[in-house]
Amino acid sequence: MEHTNPTDAAPWRPRIVAFFCNWCTYTAADLAGVSRMKYAPNTRIIRVMCSGRVDPQFILEAFARGADGVLVGGCHPGDCHYVEGNYKMLRRYHLLQRILSDMGIEKERFRLEWISASEGDKVKSVINDMVEKLTGLGPLALPDQRAEWDREMDILEEKMSVAETAEKEGTHA
Amino acid sequence: MLATEEAVEQMWGVTLDKLYDSEEGRRILSCIQCGTCVGTCPHGEYMDYPPRRIITMLKAGLIDEVLASDSMVMCVNCYACQTKCPRNIRLTEILLPIVKEQSLLQLETMPAELQKAIENTFRYGNYMGESARKRTQWTKTSKIPVRILSEDPRPVDALWLVESDLSYHPRGQDVARATVQIFDAIGADFAILGNEERSAGDCGRLSWEPGLSETLIDYTLSILKKYTYNRIIVSDPHALDALNFRYPMFGFSDTVEATVSFVHRHLDMLRPRLTKTLKYRVTYHDSCCLGRHNKLYDEPRELLLAIPGIELREMVHTRENSICCGGGGGGMWLDTYYKAKGMERLSDRRLREALATGADVLAIACPYELSRFEDAVKVAGAENRIVVRDIMELLVESFGDN
Amino acid sequence: MKENGEIRIGFYICHCGVNIASVIDVERIAAYAATLPGVVVSRHYKYMCSDPGQELLGSDIREHKLNRIVVAACSPLLHEHTFRKATENAGLNPYFMHMVNIREHGSWVHEDKELATGKAQDMIRAAIRRVRFHEPLEKKRVPVLQDVLVIGGGIAGIHASLTLANAGKHVILVEREPTIGGHMAQFDKTFPTLDCAACILTPKMTSVKDHPNITLWSYSEVVKIDGSVGNYTVTVKRKPRYVNEELCVGCMECIEACIYKEGKWPDEFNVGLSKRKPIYIPFPQAVPPVPVIDPEHCVHVKTGKCRDTCVAICGDRNAIDFTQKETLTDIKVGAIVVATGFDIFDATQIPYYGYGKYRNVYTALEAERLINASGPTGGELLLPDGHKPESIAIVHCVGSRDVHYNRWCSRVCCMYSLKLAHLIKERTGAEIYNFYIDMRAPGKSMEEFYNRVSEEGVHLIRGRVADITPQALPEGSDQGGYLGKLVVQAEDTLIGRVRKIPVDMVILAVGLVPQKDAEEVRRMLNISCSTGGFFLERHPKLAPVNTFTDGIFLAGACQGPKDIPDSVAQAGAAAAEALALIDAGSVEIEPNTAYIIEEDCSGCKSCIPLCPYTAISFDEAKKKAVINEALCKGCGTCVAACPSGSIRQHLFEDEEIFSEIDGLLTYA
Ligand SMILES: Cc1cc2nc3c(=O)[nH]c(=O)nc-3n(C[C@H](O)[C@H](O)[C@H](O)COP(=O)(O)OP(=O)(O)OC[C@H]3O[C@@H](n4cnc5c(N)ncnc54)[C@H](O)[C@@H]3O)c2cc1C
Ligand code: SF4
Ligand code: SF4
Ligand code: FES
Repeated sequence: MEHTNPTDAAPWRPRIVAFFCNWCTYTAADLAGVSRMKYAPNTRIIRVMCSGRVDPQFILEAFARGADGVLVGGCHPGDCHYVEGNYKMLRRYHLLQRILSDMGIEKERFRLEWISASEGDKVKSVINDMVEKLTGLGPLALPDQRAEWDREMDILEEKMSVAETAEKEGTHA
Repeated sequence: MLATEEAVEQMWGVTLDKLYDSEEGRRILSCIQCGTCVGTCPHGEYMDYPPRRIITMLKAGLIDEVLASDSMVMCVNCYACQTKCPRNIRLTEILLPIVKEQSLLQLETMPAELQKAIENTFRYGNYMGESARKRTQWTKTSKIPVRILSEDPRPVDALWLVESDLSYHPRGQDVARATVQIFDAIGADFAILGNEERSAGDCGRLSWEPGLSETLIDYTLSILKKYTYNRIIVSDPHALDALNFRYPMFGFSDTVEATVSFVHRHLDMLRPRLTKTLKYRVTYHDSCCLGRHNKLYDEPRELLLAIPGIELREMVHTRENSICCGGGGGGMWLDTYYKAKGMERLSDRRLREALATGADVLAIACPYELSRFEDAVKVAGAENRIVVRDIMELLVESFGDN
Repeated sequence: MKENGEIRIGFYICHCGVNIASVIDVERIAAYAATLPGVVVSRHYKYMCSDPGQELLGSDIREHKLNRIVVAACSPLLHEHTFRKATENAGLNPYFMHMVNIREHGSWVHEDKELATGKAQDMIRAAIRRVRFHEPLEKKRVPVLQDVLVIGGGIAGIHASLTLANAGKHVILVEREPTIGGHMAQFDKTFPTLDCAACILTPKMTSVKDHPNITLWSYSEVVKIDGSVGNYTVTVKRKPRYVNEELCVGCMECIEACIYKEGKWPDEFNVGLSKRKPIYIPFPQAVPPVPVIDPEHCVHVKTGKCRDTCVAICGDRNAIDFTQKETLTDIKVGAIVVATGFDIFDATQIPYYGYGKYRNVYTALEAERLINASGPTGGELLLPDGHKPESIAIVHCVGSRDVHYNRWCSRVCCMYSLKLAHLIKERTGAEIYNFYIDMRAPGKSMEEFYNRVSEEGVHLIRGRVADITPQALPEGSDQGGYLGKLVVQAEDTLIGRVRKIPVDMVILAVGLVPQKDAEEVRRMLNISCSTGGFFLERHPKLAPVNTFTDGIFLAGACQGPKDIPDSVAQAGAAAAEALALIDAGSVEIEPNTAYIIEEDCSGCKSCIPLCPYTAISFDEAKKKAVINEALCKGCGTCVAACPSGSIRQHLFEDEEIFSEIDGLLTYA
């Protein structure tokens, strides 16, 4: 019963999972609402306190569960409410892009954007743009290959954390 | 050139009846009726329907009254209104051309000179009505041989569109020959189309004869296709404007450079030749297409300042606030029409500003201005006080070994 | 972490009047939610945040023994607090409540009802899965320090400081200039009532100086801010003024005695219209009434070799002190009021208005000084050549309402332009031409003021000035010195004619723009800016003096262009908000801190450098990382990075987020 989806019968539309930081991008999305800006209904937003909280596993999980794209939104460089959580995210972003491309996931599917609390219009344009690009790319449909992926995923997550630890040690001497 | 690309895209396909279908068309709805456009327009006080009123009339559904007037005949396509509009409404690029187009159709009689210019351009590919075969005659008296592509079609770096004024007008020919000397001095690999060339079109879609303008564009594109080159160099800012803002709608995407910016880019190679001191006080007139629309303000000035001895003086109206010489948008062929309306020639007005600076040379970089200002000098009886010179001529004059 | 016990979820979807229900099919969603595992009650209601709405939630909790609540309504940033409270009032731990934002992120941003409903449904499924993992948490409160910092001593900062000080709080007022007063101190009279600016401002400035609860640090700047609501550590840089404030008696004899007999450098207070000496006081009523020495030009400071006539005349008062050094002082405050004001638009950016080119083109601020009795001309409006202007154009909207410069309406320029028109006409009898686009006169007594000035015969021309040029073309290249008549050209849009009016003087009604250093100040405070660069309020209507950073409040023109009455009103509001915060003694903060599952920690230390607050240390004995919850601010960066997954975060547990992801993406 739980697994119904009213849009299933409709034509395919990309689904995007977004992680927005509480202070800038989530607020900007609220502002877009207050300003009644209209944008594509394909994104579902998960609120986190800081983009630095976004665990690489969240992103891999979202793809594995059928997201066609993942968007992370944080404060502009230098503006993070917690000083530099967004830089940590940026570092992860580069690592993840490399890993995703190994998995054959196009780089347009994973996006990191700096959106400040006053940039409601940027929420709109980024989401619309991403939807347009993903519509062009077509479905990712990872869950269909889940069985196979599940196995590899474990390996990848392992790789990821090893890589991140190495990176951290490298930059935080 | 991103801004240009954007402008071209937005200008594409906007028509009066479907104005609100495009974002740029809808932008007129943001007009705050401030009147800056009218206040800055060099002919604003003579128009019954200057830009601001066109917008109100359009919104009120009374545009037919505007189309029946001759207001837009007075628009010299100078981009002044568009540049200052606080809402950034693309008046000169979008709204005014489509209004002008239809106003001209409704005009009882087309002003004779304009009619003649259009006919000539249609039949001969130049507004003077000169024969196509005479297009390259000026090269015979050029100190430096000029390669003509139809005779020698090898690939070339810079394809130079000479345009009609420099090809036929006697003073224009002086500029053409000077330009060749400059190109030679900077070691440019260049060639011209020769007798195959026809007017490339101008800023005002050949003064709002869209059919003619399209014919010329089609023709020029078909000729260009025959040759291999890296860039197109244009001396005529109106043609530059057409190539930058109109041609792309027809799939054209070549690199285009104004002669002044091309030469400016190679100024270091030119400098050693500029050894003769010219003790001139020079004032430079920013042409509308080169300045306001293509934002080339510094390059011409830096070329002038590269000449030893030159003292540069600015007129009251300079750079983005420059005043049109009156030649744009068909104004070149409307002097009689304007005079009958009691309007002062803009070139006469502009010359007064030039004279006031105490300059003895009025430097220009647009061939229309050469004839217009030289005429204005005669009318003012100022032949002893000031001469009109193209920047290329002044550069050559400073060649020590000339 | 495991979900424990029987899960009994109550689900509520709000219509928000028609705000949500007109786009999202709330009934269908309520019916759908009822089918999801764990959901015991599922309802839709017109206004969940209303008293009956909250009551409904409460009675359901009691009646149906609900232990999890999901409310689908507006943004949690708006009402999370409300529903947590309702949950708590019904005897359930408030952190068992979770909100789904289907208004700001749903009905307000989408038009297609089917798709918007589908999206809401996904989000709700996610939330219903998420709450299963919620845990009871304890509320966290931190004590609030009792002192308040006010940055900027314009009328807004002055008013906020006095209000707080009168309530018995200790205020530290930091002002960058040698005196407080801000822009208002520069004006002659103020619209719409035309009372003299000095007469109403000076007493307030003096009160600041005399108030036992206010510490005034002028000629100082805030350079660093650490901490968070209730407990900020602020570093203030105090520039040396080389005159000891305690010892100086304000006789000003030193200025007289300076070896420079005449002023030599542009006087900042007179916007460069007069000259001052290296030792000076901005204006006679300056607060503090203490001279300041400009180190760039003082011979002693520069070379050490001066006759020191100032020191001699000061005598045994010994106030002149060349040994002063720049100092950095740390203060601790519970709240901060930002009142840094505005700057004026730089008119040289509009070349066709001739500012900086023709000597008789002035900005309105310069005009204010020129008609001020204590200004450089003693209040007589004179041209640089000493002549009296007989005709003057006042150009409205300079740099405002223009996409090339600033889009906004600066709000005060129409009124101050009318004020200047009135004052100048009254004093000089000159013909005045005000060129305006639209006359903006909202607010109490403003329209009446507009009527009054038009009845006085000021020429009001509706049209934006398009060009300003010399009437007689200046000969030669020396246009810079031009001082003759200027022709102001504009379309008079009401008669549809281009007018060219020759005048002796032009005054540009320059707009209000953010302070030049607004961007740096914003960063330091960790607050946001609106698109135009003014500081961003938390909510345009409901929280106009709050920022997104708790404990930091906005007052005056730093938040957006506004006049004096509005600046004062906002300053009062900001003071009241700060007071409400510190008077409570402590403040509740989100219990969203990180914690370590000790047995899982592998001791790799990779989390330690990640924390910007050094909240993580290493227990060498146990070889485990330790988090100091008091220092943790809850960003979760370490949680995301811990390779062994042994750091967790309250309210943002991995399971909670994973279940959200899965819930969002579950297909049939
Ligand atoms: C020409 C003109 C005429 C006007 N006439 C009127 C009028 O007649 N009536 C009316 O109601 N309004 C008038 N206004 C508007 C009026 O100026 C403002 O409403 C008012 O000044 C706003 O006060 P404020 O304290 O917010 O800002 P400001 O007056 O700008 O004061 C800000 C203060 O903060 C200080 N500061 C800035 N940055 C820092 C920092 N980083 N650290 C420490 N200190 C800092 C500044 O030095 C200044 O003292 C006029 C405005 C202009 C431009
Ligand atoms: S300048 Fe622009 S905004 Fe002003 S009246 Fe003209 S078109 Fe409208
Ligand atoms: S383009 Fe020039 S001539 Fe035409 S309306 Fe605008 S300002 Fe006037
Ligand atoms: S709080 Fe927005 S990215 Fe850190």
